[in-house]
Amino acid sequence: MSGAFGRMPIGATRREFIGVSIAASSMVALAACSSDDGSEVDIDEQSKGAMDDFAADTQFTATEPFTLSLLWTEWPELPIKDSWTFFDEVEQRTNVKFELTTIPFSDAVEKRSLLISAGDAPQVIPLIYTGDETSFVSSGAILPISDYVEHMPNFQKYVEEWDLADMVDNLKQADGKYYMLPGLQEVSVPVFTLIIRKDVFESVAGGIPETWDEMREALVKIKAEYPDSTPLADGFEAQSMLNYASHAWGARAGWGFGPGMVDDGGGKLEYTAVTEGYKQMVEYFRGLVADGLLDTDSLTAANDGSGGGSVAEKFANETVFAASGSNGTAIEFAQALNETVGEGNYEVLQIAPPGGPAGQVVEPRNFWNGFMLNSEITESEHFLATLQFLDWLYYNPEARELLRWGVLDETYTKDADGKIELKPEYSLNAFNINPDGETDIQEDLGWSNSVFADSTESRALKESYNPSEFVAYIDAVLSTRTPRDPYPPAPLDELELEQSSLLATPLKDTVDTNTLKFITGDRDIAEWDDYVAELEAQGLAEYVDLMNAARDRFEEENS
Amino acid sequence: MRAFGAVNATLLVLLCVLMLYPFITVLAQSFSSAGAINAGKVSFWPVGFNVDTYAAVMSDGTFWRNYGNTVLYTAVGTTIAMVLTTTYAYVLSKKHLKGRNVLIGIAVFTMFFNGGLVPNYVLISSLGMKNTMWAIVLPNAISVFNLLVMKSFFENLPKDLEEAAQIDGLGWYGIFGRIVLPLSKAVIATMVLFYSVQYWNDWFAAFLYLDKSELFPVTLFLRNLIAGASTTASEGAAAAGTTTALVSTNIQAVTMVLTVIPILCVYPFVQRYFVSGVMLGSVKG
Repeated sequence: MSGAFGRMPIGATRREFIGVSIAASSMVALAACSSDDGSEVDIDEQSKGAMDDFAADTQFTATEPFTLSLLWTEWPELPIKDSWTFFDEVEQRTNVKFELTTIPFSDAVEKRSLLISAGDAPQVIPLIYTGDETSFVSSGAILPISDYVEHMPNFQKYVEEWDLADMVDNLKQADGKYYMLPGLQEVSVPVFTLIIRKDVFESVAGGIPETWDEMREALVKIKAEYPDSTPLADGFEAQSMLNYASHAWGARAGWGFGPGMVDDGGGKLEYTAVTEGYKQMVEYFRGLVADGLLDTDSLTAANDGSGGGSVAEKFANETVFAASGSNGTAIEFAQALNETVGEGNYEVLQIAPPGGPAGQVVEPRNFWNGFMLNSEITESEHFLATLQFLDWLYYNPEARELLRWGVLDETYTKDADGKIELKPEYSLNAFNINPDGETDIQEDLGWSNSVFADSTESRALKESYNPSEFVAYIDAVLSTRTPRDPYPPAPLDELELEQSSLLATPLKDTVDTNTLKFITGDRDIAEWDDYVAELEAQGLAEYVDLMNAARDRFEEENS
Repeated sequence: MRAFGAVNATLLVLLCVLMLYPFITVLAQSFSSAGAINAGKVSFWPVGFNVDTYAAVMSDGTFWRNYGNTVLYTAVGTTIAMVLTTTYAYVLSKKHLKGRNVLIGIAVFTMFFNGGLVPNYVLISSLGMKNTMWAIVLPNAISVFNLLVMKSFFENLPKDLEEAAQIDGLGWYGIFGRIVLPLSKAVIATMVLFYSVQYWNDWFAAFLYLDKSELFPVTLFLRNLIAGASTTASEGAAAAGTTTALVSTNIQAVTMVLTVIPILCVYPFVQRYFVSGVMLGSVKG
């Protein structure tokens, strides 16, 4: 089948190999070129092109043109075309020209590591999620941008206005500085959650489940109505479902596992995968599998769009009625259902993650992707102007609107209430807007590109391009769920980082493997204590001590 | 004996089907509609036959630009590699050459040790070869395996011929060009095949050393298309994969088919040499 062909095992091995070897060699290479002597940068001397009166919510225009090198990730279906107006428009408004280093999306992370390790990275490195920067901190290759945020008025303003200061503090590394600036979100809702067949849940199960217990009851009813179905599925190797489900039990799992640490309620950190909550979560899903309510194939297979047994296909054939996904997945499912059930005969809905023993909670408020800067930027005479430009590009509301929608009154219009509408001759196919428009603002003009457009978003901007179902989803999450408290930060220094990765990786592997085994029933849940003993034999206590020490130190230094 | 033959034939046919099945599936998918592939209906024959996908991929400028790059890199790379490998191998085949063992040692050393990824990258970029064709064609221009096979082939050429040529007044270059090379067609054809397949398939060097998509070979284009669509590594990556439209399977299939066609066409014609070439290193004359 295509699945076997699309995901070549040799390719995967090679890719892992690259990852490991780049990581390993970067340690060596970086150790050799740490030349950060901590000397202060005189930013006023490097203010060529900078505006004297740059302030929040004002247009940035460099007083003299300059070029900025940029790491550009190329998505296979969105190549840069000659017709793109994105680069020209930004240059025209700001006097800043981008010089691109293009990397293919398929291996973007590996190439980024290589470029940074070899000291060859462009000045601006976008698409950085929190945590991506950690491995580069000790090398000195990345600018400690926290030293310079005073020159970024838009960032300051929206951190304040959207109440994100505590979260920004949590970005700090062991040296008390942070090295990336994230995309700010006025409201943050889980990106991945459950996508359900609303009509079926309402007619068969009597409504939309608000807790996992209600979900179970609903699934039982649906199973009774459709005996051939296994109504619940994941499709992301269980990483997605465990991620959004774990919060209901006060645990962390899947994509959100991170270092695996949660607060034990007494001011200490504990390893989430051995907590009672985690065990209860595993038992819950084990129960679903035992009753034929959870599709086990979808816990090991990736939803890679290669057809043949994918979750979308099962959704279309009514053997699955609730599955993990984002707003994009919801559109995908709807398109698949159009082919089988027919348009108008179904309703697809993205629901707030169900609650559980820990309450009606969802993941902590979150950032989205932002950027880091190559530390060599401090030698640039346009250093200050670069900071101002990026502050405008990433945090100015007008810039954000430009990046999403293009040029006001040219590609879109905005009425007095701030309602944005795309002009009829333009389309945005990725979000099913004006499918009949001749020119796609994303494919043909470069707006809404994945490198910049998703980062910082106000609530209004987020709601402007998403379908009304997603807007309803945002409302549902914000009105009925509480975000968890942020996980306590415990930044590690260079030596600890090395130690922790030696300990954490095998621990995480054991957790991942056994979580799945327990859920699918390959391992009896009665062996839970043996599993905990296995983790302890792999140095669990040492790892927890290490993290606790780092946390104590951080609190001492920042209290 | 007859039973053995029958079992043998059955086994080989089965093996053959096993090898061919993935190719046939991809070929069938390339002519099928996306809907049929997503429904899992395509295995041996196209379902919902159409050539629209071919038309779409073939009208993509980037695809052809990258395809042209691959042809260029393969042609230039193979030429350079052949010149360097044959001359090096010929020199090494002369047992009376002083310092011959050192020259062999230098080559063999690189089979066991290399600088590693980051140092290699730094080297290539300091040499100013980044974002040029030379970063693709030069670093692997001499394959030590090919070199040694060729060396032993040259060693097995009758010495008398070269001596006769010498007596008739040919210099070393004349002997090499007019006597040795014409006698070595088999090994040369094999090596050309080896090198051209190597350059044609290579995406890794391009991934490392090229930062401009207009310089990418088609293999990198293909890899981005196929590997990019399937990522569950992190939430961010998964979100990026779903918010932008996934590349459909039939586009992937068409690109794969178009990429392997040239190699597939060349192979049968050089297979004769290929078989004899494989034997070269093993049989002493």
